[in-house]
Order: sequence, then structure tokens, then C-alpha cells
Amino acid sequence: MSSREEILSRLRHNTRETFDMPDLAALTPITFADPVAEFIHKTTTTAGATLIEMQPTDRLDDLIRRAYPEARSVASNLPGVRTDVNPDTVAEAQELMHVDVGVVQGCIGVAENACIWIPQQTKEKAVCFAVQQLVILLPRDAIVSNMHQAYALIQTSTDYFSRYPFGTFISGPSKTADIESALVYGAQAARAVTVILTPP
Amino acid sequence: MSTRHSRAAEAYLKDDAVASRHDQTFFAVRQKRDRMAAALPEWEDLREAASQIKKHTATHLADYLERFERNATRNGVSVHWAEDADEYNRIVADILAAHNVRKVVKSKSMLTEECHLNENLERQGITVVETDLGERILQMMKLAPSHIVMPALHVHREDIGACFRRLIPDFDEIARSYDRPHDDPNDPTFLTYVARMHLRQQFAEADAGMTGANFGIAETGDIVVCTNEGNADMSTSLPRLHIVSMGIEKLIPDYASMGVFQRFVARSGTGQETTVYTSHFRGPRPGGEMHIVLVDNGRSDILGDPEHWQTLKCMRCGACMNTCPVYRRSAGYSYTYFIPGPIGINLGMLRDCHLYHDNLSACSLCCSCDNVCPVKVDLSSQIYRWRQQLDDLGHASRMKRLMSKGMAALFNRPKLYTATLRFAPLINVLPSALVSNRLNPWTYGHTMLKFPRKSFHEQWKQLKNEEKK
Ligand code: SF4
Ligand code: SF4
Repeated sequence: MSSREEILSRLRHNTRETFDMPDLAALTPITFADPVAEFIHKTTTTAGATLIEMQPTDRLDDLIRRAYPEARSVASNLPGVRTDVNPDTVAEAQELMHVDVGVVQGCIGVAENACIWIPQQTKEKAVCFAVQQLVILLPRDAIVSNMHQAYALIQTSTDYFSRYPFGTFISGPSKTADIESALVYGAQAARAVTVILTPP
Repeated sequence: MSTRHSRAAEAYLKDDAVASRHDQTFFAVRQKRDRMAAALPEWEDLREAASQIKKHTATHLADYLERFERNATRNGVSVHWAEDADEYNRIVADILAAHNVRKVVKSKSMLTEECHLNENLERQGITVVETDLGERILQMMKLAPSHIVMPALHVHREDIGACFRRLIPDFDEIARSYDRPHDDPNDPTFLTYVARMHLRQQFAEADAGMTGANFGIAETGDIVVCTNEGNADMSTSLPRLHIVSMGIEKLIPDYASMGVFQRFVARSGTGQETTVYTSHFRGPRPGGEMHIVLVDNGRSDILGDPEHWQTLKCMRCGACMNTCPVYRRSAGYSYTYFIPGPIGINLGMLRDCHLYHDNLSACSLCCSCDNVCPVKVDLSSQIYRWRQQLDDLGHASRMKRLMSKGMAALFNRPKLYTATLRFAPLINVLPSALVSNRLNPWTYGHTMLKFPRKSFHEQWKQLKNEEKK
């Protein structure tokens, strides 16, 4: 018997009693009267990110420049963003490590923990991680209260995972507390994050 | 005479400053976790749901694994099955050999630790670089993890700085590029910057990235990896080859379940609302390959153990360690199994009850671990049952004689006493297995833990007087 068969048959043999799946719809997870306000609060406090509320008259490029005035290079494939590097066409993902700012589209914001769902949207997903600083665009009407709602949206949508088989929730910049519990932003991945809430 | 744990603990406690810092560090994490729990009105309902999901999955695991394999395969992932550590190491080595891999970047995985993967690969001339900062520090210092989530918090910044200066070839160059003023040459922000630059170089050079799996989702074939540093994402965004090592018990049914667990991992383990990254891998990156190795290594046998099968529910969050007064006072290296604390005591016994039974003495049966475990593993009852079973294993009388000494060493430490007091409300609960049997000699720890407040101050005064002499 192959290892696969061995493992499966041992599992079946060793199962003595079975248990039913609980009714998860019966959970009453926390919701917020104003999820957008809560999301902004969590993003700028516990998550350690910066947040800009875009006005209809604002230009995206100006906001990105305002967020990172010293940036020499921007990587994105989003329409309306002036870019120097295109994560769809770079020869190697490594090139994105030297880019100052990556700009990506977030699709769902979660108020309880400042997570933003970012489905992979470029050939190289390194644009979310390897760049020095990350800008995430998020429509302000795409914010839900909790993770249960976010996962329900992802699960029922056909928009995600169809082009690229990856998606991630990001909540603020890369951080660590591995040296004597001291919190430090800028571990291995993007060392700063700016969230731009775009008008609906 | 004593158990290996109590001997190690006694040696450890000789340095009160180190011991009380360790105690306070992890007690602080435990308090952060408490604040997280208090902020969610549905906390207890979530724990019950999480426990039931895990019980359901564990008792339908063969079906879910088949489903997971079908979906992952359809997504273009190669799925491998390993019965034990040897087979696992062989599979990984073969994949790496087929791609001529010389250097692997790796994000934290207790499973690879369990199977001694790194040593195996290094024997074959492959360079393995741990990329979680704590793990990297330990790897460079040739130390084992002392905690499953915060593995290097017992190491001091001076030692980390010295190690980096010695072992990172371009340390000086990196240091020159750091532009923030810092008086302390071992400032954690500075050392983290050095590690960042060093590790980013490793990501860029590596031929393969290896990750663990916090969760596998049967419904979709996703692998979910949660980190704060983004090192799992760096490890899989730069090299083209991604190998996932996953214990078969990490499987959950669907996205609805994932919602429950995502909300728990960080809240329970480190007292954060979420990890920074919660990444879902559903297939290889464009032009790359993704492999998942499903590892049994004793798990399917645990399922057949009527007393201890619920350890399979564990999601390795670390909460039970942070809360355990014995862990906090004796630290990870006092335990003889590589996973310390309440869950480690139990997993060690399941691995080899003759080799690891010393750790059973590292418990006062205070039940705090049961109260914090997000998936309701009945940790203290299991420890209690193991102690009962020791009679059959032939280790009982020795253990019973030695228990009191070990506990006394741990709890008669005035300088460590503050946390015990703060901990007091939890300590008078008995594990369910014990309730009917209060006169059992194993309940030793309870009498030790009931320190009246007055006696502490008397002890404290006495200590002060002795110090003055
Ligand atoms: S019951 Fe034992 S293992 Fe659990 S927290 Fe208390 S002392 Fe630690
Ligand atoms: S036993 Fe429970 S508390 Fe301990 S690591 Fe596992 S899931 Fe976390």
C-alpha cells in the first residue's frame, strides 16, 4: 500500500466516533454601527498604517507623491497611476525589491482588524511584499465589520483566484517583536503602508 | 533526586533576573490575549465553534484529505503523502534535487522542526535559511526554539548583536546604510534593520521557498499562512519553487471555518487582532511550481487514542504556554520535548511516553491552559490522565516522590511571585478529571499554588532583610 492509502486507511480505522459540523450561521460576530470609522481607527492605530481619505477632486498620483515624497520609483499596473515599473512585465520578481512604492487595489476592508483583501492582480505578487513601501487603494464602500463577512464575500465571488491563484489579507506594514519584545516596523516585507480610501 | 524538568528548572531559576523577565514577558502576552478576548462578546461561542469544527474535521479527516487533494491537484499543485519524518525528508530532498536547489529560504514551521528537516538538508549540502527573525537568530546561534510562536524572546539583544556582527558578512556595510541615530549599538530597531537587509539578500538568492501551513482548506485546496513579518510571502514571491509542509491535522473544511480561525490565531497567541499577513496560496506562481507534503508522523495513531485524540485540535497558537505558570517560570529549555508548555507535555507523551514523561512534572494542574485554549483542548485533564497512566508505564512511584520537590523549586521564588498573585483568580479551578478525586497525591501543585497574600509579604520582607545582611 502506498503511504497515501496507509494514512487514509489508518485514519478511517482509528475514527471511533464522529462529530457534526457546528452551525456557524448561528454565531453572532461583532458588527460596528460605522464600519468605516472603525476601519480607519484600527488602520491608523494597531495596524500602524497611514490612511488618506481621497476626495473626488484629488488626483491619485498626487496622493501617492504626498504619501511618499522621496520615492524615486513606483510599481503598479493600475490604470491612472503613473508608474516606472510594471509588475506584469518585469523579467524577474527581484526587480521589485528595489522599487520604492508599490500600488495595489484592495477589494475588501475589515473593520475589526484593519485587514484588506488583496487578490493577486499582477504577474508578480512581489509588488505587495518586496517593495519598500506599499499603497493600497480601497473603495470606502467595500468595508465590512468582521472576517466572517469578508470570507463569505470571497467565497461567493468569482472575481478572485481566477487570474492568479493567490490572495492575501494585509493589515499594515511588516512588523516583528522578536528581539526582546520590542515592536519594530519593517521586518522583511514592505516597511510602510498607506491606505487610500477611494470615493465609491 | 528530581525529574529532568525540575532539575533544569532549578538551574534556570538560579538567575532571578532572567527568570523574572521571562515570566513577565509572557505574562504580558497573556494579558494582551485577555484584552482581545474581552473585546469580543462572541469569544466563548467562537471557542466552542472552533472546537467543534476541529472535532468534526478530525473525525472525518480521511474524507477531507481526499477532497483537499482533489482540489489542490486541480489547481495545479503536486500533493505528496509522508507517513513519517524519514519519508517527509526524502520527499522534500527529492523535489529540491530535481530542481538543483542550493539554497532554500524557509518560513517558520514546527513540523520541519519535528522532522529535523534542516539537518537533513544541510547534510546534503543544501543551505537552509530560516527567515522568521526569531528563528534566524536561533539558527545563527545554534539554539533550539524556546516557544512555538515567539521562539527567541529568551535571547538578549547583546547576544543577538554579537552574533550578527560575527556571522553576517556585510554587517558593517549594512550598518553604514542605517540612518537613524541610536545610542545603543544593540538597539532592536537597528538589529531588525540589519536582519532585514541580510534576509532580503537571502530571499533574492534562494532557489526555493518553504512554508508551513497554518491551515489547509478542503473546499478549495488553499494553504493559508499567517505571519507578521511577511517572510512566508517573501519566500514564495521571489523563488519559483514553493514547498508546503503540512501536518494532516491542519485541515479545515471551508471558508466559513477559516473565518473562525483567522480571528483566533493572533488574538490567542500574541494578543493582536490579526497577523499582518494572512495569505491564501491556491496554486503555483506563474512559471513556478507548488508542492504540498501532507505529513502524518503519528497523527493518525493519535486519532485512535480515546483519551488524547483531542490534541489533534491544536492550532499551535502558543496561548497555553504564555499562561502556564510553570512554563513562564522554567522557560522552554527545561522541557525535554521540542514543544514546551502544556501542549508540549502532551504531544511529547504521545510521541514517546518513556522518553518524555519527565515533563509531566511540569504542571501544577491549575487549569489556566484549558481556559485560554481557543480550540478547547483539555490540556490539564490530559496531563492528569497521563499521570494516572504512569502507574502502568512503571514510572509512577518515582514521579510521585519527586513531584513535590520540583514544584517547590518553581513556586518558592519570592521574586517571581508577583505574577502568581495576579494569576490567583484562575488557580482554584480543578481539571474535570480531577474533581471526583481530590485526595489524589497528584494534586500537589494546588496546595503549593494557594499562597496567601500575607505570607508573600512576610517572605518578601525576609528576603530584603537577608539581602541587607
Ligand atoms: S494546568 Fe499545568 S500545564 Fe496547564 S497552565 Fe496550569 S500548570 Fe501549566
Ligand atoms: S493547545 Fe490550544 S492554546 Fe495550546 S497551542 Fe494548541 S491551540 Fe494554542
